Amino acid sequence: MLRIVITTFLVFLLAGCQVPVNLGGQLRPDQLSFPALNFALPEVTRYRLENGMQVYLNENHELPLVNISVTLAGGSLYDPQELTGLSELFAATLESGGFGDLTPEQVDTELESRAIELSVGATDYSYQIDLSLHRRDLALGLRLLADLLRRPQFDAERFELVRHQMLEAIYRRNDNPAGIAARLLAEETAPGHPFGRQARVETVNAISRQDLVALHSRCFRAGNIWLAVSGDLTRGELDQLLDSQFADWPAGVPATPALPPLPEESEARILVADKDLPQTTILMGQRGISKDNPDMYALQVANYILGGGGFNSRLMREIRSNRGLAYSVYSYFNIGRRLPQLFVAAAETKSASTAEVVRLMLEQLQALLDAPVAEQELSLAKESLINSFVFAFDNCHAVVARQVRLDFYDYPQGYLEDYRRNIAAVTVEDVRRAAEKYLKPDHLQIILVGKSELFVDSLQQFGLPVKQVDL
Amino acid sequence: MGEYMVFRLFLVVLTVLFSVPAVAAASLADRVQEHRLANGATVLFVERHGSPTVSAYISFKVGSVNETSEQRGAAHLLEHMLFKGTRVLGTKNYAEEKPLLDRIETVGGKIDRLKNLPESDPVALEKMRAELKALQKEHKQLVVKDEFSKIYAENGGVGFNAFTGKDQTTYLINLPANKLELWAAIESDRLANAVFREFYTERDVVYEERRRSYESNPNGLLYESLLATAFKVHPYREPTIGWGSDIANLTPDDIRSLYSRYYTPANMVITLVGDFHGDNALALIKRYFGKLPSGEQVPPVTAVEPTQQGERRIKVRFDAEPGLMIAYHKPAAPQREDYVFDLLMEILGAGRTSRLYRALVLDKQLATDVGVFSAPGSRYPNLMIVSATPRQGVAVSAIEEAIYRELDLLRQGVTAAELDKARRQITMSLLRRMQSNSGLARTLSSFEALGGWRYLEDYQQQIESVSAEELARVAQRYLTADNRTVALVGREGG
Repeated sequence: MLRIVITTFLVFLLAGCQVPVNLGGQLRPDQLSFPALNFALPEVTRYRLENGMQVYLNENHELPLVNISVTLAGGSLYDPQELTGLSELFAATLESGGFGDLTPEQVDTELESRAIELSVGATDYSYQIDLSLHRRDLALGLRLLADLLRRPQFDAERFELVRHQMLEAIYRRNDNPAGIAARLLAEETAPGHPFGRQARVETVNAISRQDLVALHSRCFRAGNIWLAVSGDLTRGELDQLLDSQFADWPAGVPATPALPPLPEESEARILVADKDLPQTTILMGQRGISKDNPDMYALQVANYILGGGGFNSRLMREIRSNRGLAYSVYSYFNIGRRLPQLFVAAAETKSASTAEVVRLMLEQLQALLDAPVAEQELSLAKESLINSFVFAFDNCHAVVARQVRLDFYDYPQGYLEDYRRNIAAVTVEDVRRAAEKYLKPDHLQIILVGKSELFVDSLQQFGLPVKQVDL
Repeated sequence: MGEYMVFRLFLVVLTVLFSVPAVAAASLADRVQEHRLANGATVLFVERHGSPTVSAYISFKVGSVNETSEQRGAAHLLEHMLFKGTRVLGTKNYAEEKPLLDRIETVGGKIDRLKNLPESDPVALEKMRAELKALQKEHKQLVVKDEFSKIYAENGGVGFNAFTGKDQTTYLINLPANKLELWAAIESDRLANAVFREFYTERDVVYEERRRSYESNPNGLLYESLLATAFKVHPYREPTIGWGSDIANLTPDDIRSLYSRYYTPANMVITLVGDFHGDNALALIKRYFGKLPSGEQVPPVTAVEPTQQGERRIKVRFDAEPGLMIAYHKPAAPQREDYVFDLLMEILGAGRTSRLYRALVLDKQLATDVGVFSAPGSRYPNLMIVSATPRQGVAVSAIEEAIYRELDLLRQGVTAAELDKARRQITMSLLRRMQSNSGLARTLSSFEALGGWRYLEDYQQQIESVSAEELARVAQRYLTADNRTVALVGREGG
């Protein structure tokens, strides 16, 4: 790898001297020079209401649209084990179960007749409400939002409907190989932990409407509200509407439960799930890091080189571009907001080349541990991460929602301002050290979903325990 | 990159194609700068200075419908091959590389001919495959891997990609605003000097893509089977990616002929949205793209799908819970009925208050989800497709019956409130799409390739003038048993 990349680079430098075609006097694309980019981080207005609600605003008057996102601490990480699925059921029922004086049907009609989009979701650490509307419907939208946050009904029929939809999803969970692989990997890497738990028929059936009501009254307090607002409105308009809908909401902050500790990592092994398909889904993973880890930047660069940089990554080059063995192949570090989350590498290949692709993936992982990356690879990864940073700010709602996220998860002050400098500072040695520390082949869980009789014998070469799982 | 996204494409095209509000269209029309180069290329600009970025789209009015039956999959494979570089990029020395590429093609062609002969000698075939492998290894020494991707990435480009549809093909990239010339240089080079290196390897990649999106995916398989059943004559019946045996036998010549005939300014739309100045960008585009020879326009597809005379039904066996899709033939834009269908499909399937969701999911609780969309292309008469996910233990026949009942009710008319709601939903969905440079560029580029972005201008007027009676008449005419194709998937074959 090292040699090839150096050769590439030399050619790159010399290429101008040997252009074999007439470019009409034009320069090669990589020989162009460019003006400097004028870019300043956009400013977001932040303030706090008397009752503790946090408000972030980014005005933009180009289109007559307003987007509002609400983030509240909570989420599936805190679901009791016997009620796994609670947060998902809660969010979907909150969204569709009626609020204020309106029945669920009336809410649906109010929203859809004005093409207002309203959705509620649960993440590991939060509940998230997204509202998108035409500016003429702003007052109505905020009234509905206040009703949802403060006066939800959790209508019993809608609650049962949502429960049934979750049961159906469980019933259908083996339809797609990617879903099977993701589920098995989560279970393998965090057994017994909320990260590794899946909603089951028993846990979904154990959840009562009263559980949702209790969760709501515990979490949905003014001091737990983070509002991200963008689009065609002014601070004055917003303040007036917030005042009318929320001024009488008493202050209050829910207690923050402790984060459930992650279990020890298990030893590496291969899990095989049989499904009659012409292609094997390969998913491998191990515990990664959280955003509080100072090696985060070095690992981002390392992962770009390994499998995060698309066609500029080693996995894509070796497995897809050089050998035609897969269409999609990549890796990523899911950098945990609070707890460490997974490092994952994935590909799909025809049954007959399953073991070959697993071997190539493992070799590329190992190569990052065994040899320093080339300066040119490092520099490409860094340039790409640094120069594409501007795209984090090309959408006015993304700007304000990101600022909420950074504060909500206690990112260090100056995280955005320093991001490019932190990436630029990563050295070859940093990459090697971070890879050695956080890529752990000894703990890698390898999931294979496909027609196992066609490849299971060839897995012996890896010297790992192989376990067949029944779906 | 080189990605193929049939589902995304038709959803985008369909929602977008017929969904522009008067207010937005008026202000948009004021802001679109339209130019035509001397060689015939169309250029659309929208300046937006909110963020120092530019979305750059190039669409060609060519897609898989323009292939011959011997070249099925060629338009899509060509799109992949256009990521492989040019005589300038992607090579250490093209003069040295060329003879090797020719030899690879000769051996590859021999293998393809031999492998399909029943009496071919397996030993000879194996020998040739080994020879090809050795040549490919030698060739690799001269390749600069994925150089487009590398140059765009180090310059901060994101979303470097392309997609092939039935009627159009699009190449896109988002760049920091100061790198616009880089885009012009790279894209004009790949239109003038493309080299289809690593052909046989990429063909294998596409086969893996087919396995992933269709052969291992119950919905992909169901959709592909539905199209092949609903259409008998029109090329909309063929999968854009090609059938397995098509992919395995595509040749470099198949690719080359599409490229040289149709990837020309006469069929090309360039769209830029973002932070640039129109005059400067136009000068840049003229300088880089202006010298490309005009080329011939893609001729229209002559095949006409005959009127369907009776229900068609297909079952697909796959290891998954049951699913179904029901398709009805319908006219395409700019036929008046197509605007009516836009409203009709919203009323039927968009949101919790839509008729199908209400009946099947909320009231009768037969399905967990239901959807309505138009596919597979937009230039020729196409399909309205209803998809439904049955609840456990519910017979597919019960779902069908409930759907047909709702379609019957639609034939009796809709309310003014339903029409208003549908118009608003369509209007807002376009406004939302326009929030990003990329969304606006994609919308304009796609419209222009399919018949002209100005079509957007009178769209609102068209949908405003659709009455409940007209909608009922269209429903009566098209939503009939004889005009439908039913496709089922599941362990029991649906």
